[in-house]
Amino acid sequence: MVVNPTVEYEPEQVEAFDFRMAMEEASRCLLCEDAPCKYGCPSGTAPDQFIRSIRFKNVNGAAEIIRENNILGASCALICPHEKLCEAACSRCGIDSPIQIGKLQQFATEYERKMDKTYLSQTDTYSGKSVACIGAGPASLACAAELSKQGVDVTIFDEHSQPGGMLRYEIPPYRLPETVVDHDISQLEKLGVKFELNHKVTSEELEQMKEKYDGVFVGVGTWEAKTLNIPGSNLDGIFPAIDFLSKARENKESYSSLGNVVIIGGGDVAMDSAATCKLLGADSIYDVFVESLEHAPATQKEKMYDFQMGIPLISEFMPVAFIGDEKVERVRFEHVTNGSTMELEADTVILAVGQTTRDEAEAWKQAAGIFTGGDMVNGGDTVVQAVAEGKEAAAKMMNTFNE
Amino acid sequence: MKKDLSIDFLGVHCENPFFLSSSPVCNNAEQISKAFDAGWAGIFYKTVGIEGMNECSPRFDIISNEPSSWTGFKNMEQISELPLEKNVIEIKKLKESYPTKVIGVSIMGSNEEEWRTLAKAVTEAGADIIELNFSCPQMTSHDMGADVGQSPELVEKYTRAVVESTHLPVVAKMTPNITKMSVPAIAAAKGGAKSVSAINTIKSLTNLDLDNLTGKPVVNGKSSVSGYSGNAAKPIALRFITELAQCEELKDLELSGMGGIETWQDAIEFILLGCRNLQVTTSVMQYGYRIVDDLISGLSHYMDERGVDRLEELVGIAVDNIVPSEDLDRSFMIIPTVDMDKCLGCGRCYISCYDGSHQAIEWDSQNRKPIILEDKCVGCHLCLNVCPVSNCITPEKVVYKDGKDHTDKEVVQQLVYQ
Ligand SMILES: Cc1cc2nc3c(=O)[nH]c(=O)nc-3n(C[C@H](O)[C@H](O)[C@H](O)COP(=O)(O)O)c2cc1C
Ligand code: SF4
Ligand code: SF4
Ligand code: SF4
Repeated sequence: MVVNPTVEYEPEQVEAFDFRMAMEEASRCLLCEDAPCKYGCPSGTAPDQFIRSIRFKNVNGAAEIIRENNILGASCALICPHEKLCEAACSRCGIDSPIQIGKLQQFATEYERKMDKTYLSQTDTYSGKSVACIGAGPASLACAAELSKQGVDVTIFDEHSQPGGMLRYEIPPYRLPETVVDHDISQLEKLGVKFELNHKVTSEELEQMKEKYDGVFVGVGTWEAKTLNIPGSNLDGIFPAIDFLSKARENKESYSSLGNVVIIGGGDVAMDSAATCKLLGADSIYDVFVESLEHAPATQKEKMYDFQMGIPLISEFMPVAFIGDEKVERVRFEHVTNGSTMELEADTVILAVGQTTRDEAEAWKQAAGIFTGGDMVNGGDTVVQAVAEGKEAAAKMMNTFNE
Repeated sequence: MKKDLSIDFLGVHCENPFFLSSSPVCNNAEQISKAFDAGWAGIFYKTVGIEGMNECSPRFDIISNEPSSWTGFKNMEQISELPLEKNVIEIKKLKESYPTKVIGVSIMGSNEEEWRTLAKAVTEAGADIIELNFSCPQMTSHDMGADVGQSPELVEKYTRAVVESTHLPVVAKMTPNITKMSVPAIAAAKGGAKSVSAINTIKSLTNLDLDNLTGKPVVNGKSSVSGYSGNAAKPIALRFITELAQCEELKDLELSGMGGIETWQDAIEFILLGCRNLQVTTSVMQYGYRIVDDLISGLSHYMDERGVDRLEELVGIAVDNIVPSEDLDRSFMIIPTVDMDKCLGCGRCYISCYDGSHQAIEWDSQNRKPIILEDKCVGCHLCLNVCPVSNCITPEKVVYKDGKDHTDKEVVQQLVYQ
């Protein structure tokens, strides 16, 4: 992938296939029997079927299949680690390279958006059941969509002012434009799902909800940043990556003076933070992590993206101290095996060393009488995995309703 | 999306217009059950004769420009390998298990007596419709197949023999290996057929084997002229369907169309030209029964987008817009334009216009850009068809040959070039 140096922080859309390119790519598909790609997709988006629809010029049908199976189909098309999922399973790997399934999924959902198509609509057979979904992130959205298709009256509660969870507040817009998130969320509105925003649910309220609704789903993600227990970690200028990313989105102007940035972490959130700093014009950026480059958890694509932006990725160094009075000035590192040390100048430090569920919600994981899913349960996996868990929870709830 | 795609064909209610055409895609009951479960509304059972056929091996060849799919297909297969008695058992089984699906049965005899015997047998077996195969181009007997289909006398005689032996509606399947298909079609109508279906395969030699110095496929060092089908044959099929649809004497007949149907778009083309029933073989041989999913879905979306409620409303609505070439409006030219932001500078438009048309594109070799010379351009649109970039060269200006402005006149143009 060649990175365009003038890439925008908030693009309207990410470059998509046109009809001809999509047809060409779809015609590479071998149209396999019991296609392996479909088993590579955690959320059951049915790539084999939508590719076949494109192959036979039925773009509406393709977009419809995606929508019916994955309510966040447009977002997943852009941010799934395809190379580890559906594309890794593709039979065509045995000939040359896999079908670009994510790009085809993007083509179909972009068609849906640009042509203003609607494939989902409110059902007219109500089940008489009502469910509250706590959190408006991927797991909850998927659970809500599945339930409302089956006639359940669903309300989603979230403390943020807009729905989407990490889609909106964590993944940077140059990877996942706001228009795409809005487009996915508008599908839930079409299904008749209600949103109660700016509404933080407490443990007490959760108990009341168990009485008031026939079912409660909790998918509140992992919004508590982990910290480093090393000297100087309470100095000014040290920010958790999630706070940095969501603020960058809200008021990017105030980040015009990031200065020299050190990012700590080797996952996608670290890579996203580094690239965001670059796009916001930081003076220098170093991303340092303890793993080897190969084993750092970020996807290949994300690592390449940062690398091609010219961001140094420094592997196998462990942070040991933050140095400065009041405000951070330098970070000291030690090599994980050979004892070398390194100090980097830093006006801003961004910590991307993992996230957990907030304290209060931590207890909900074990609570009786509720269903859970997404990052808060799996510890932080992909969006498409959260969709899968939301769908699964919805199926379980429907079973209890039908008992 | 599930839309009601049902339509009556010869008084038989069909859940959708999609049928399998007579060929190895409907050889026996077990196989056809899978097709019905996949969503096909009906079939025309592999042509039943008195005796089973002795087939050659190998028997297929392909024309393709991509490694994983083909557009044209040649076969050297005759009619069913099973004798009449065995096919009758299969047809009975099918009718019992799938009472709401439509079972058409294709038959072929070599004389009047055989046609009568076959018609009676399949009527008793439970067929809903009988199709008469007057069109297989590779029969080993000249009393059968396309040779019969070229003779209006025989077509009429055999059709009458069948019509007298059954109460079922009869479809006569036409061969494209003829100049005017309406001649045998009218003969079939006189004999009592209520419908004609077209096209069967086109006589062809697809490729030669340069080592064995014969055609492909090579059967012990030799090959034969035989039937061509698949998407590459669609233009020929559409031409014959139009001829039938426009023929005054055939106005009362219902049409069943086939020849290269692969996508919902292909299917709609046949419907717009007057077909109430559609048949498919080659694309099913290549991709399987599952292609019906996108035929149904694509047709449903098309109808939905255009606010069409009943498939019926689409049947034949393009027929009158296919006119003799002397009736085309030749008063204007549509001059194309190049979108320079999209142009890659490959120069294909220049090469084709120079070598294959009117030298109306100038090549700016410094900047690698084509310049369309309006005074030389004749509006043939060759450039537009060779350009590798979508919507890069597009039709733009309507210029009248008499040099005048006809502001009152509207020129209807093609919307989609893909
Ligand atoms: C292998 C093969 C066998 C066929 N056998 C028959 C047959 O037994 N009877 C018949 O009426 N048509 C037969 N056909 C012709 C098809 O039914 C159909 O008319 C033709 O192939 C055009 O449609 P298509 O392009 O969808 O294949 C055969 C075609 C193929 C390819
Ligand atoms: S949702 Fe993701 S994993 Fe599933 S098919 Fe689409 S791109 Fe692949
Ligand atoms: S595995 Fe690959 S080649 Fe096979 S159907 Fe899926 S995308 Fe196509
Ligand atoms: S064929 Fe198209 S892309 Fe190539 S030079 Fe002509 S206009 Fe440009």
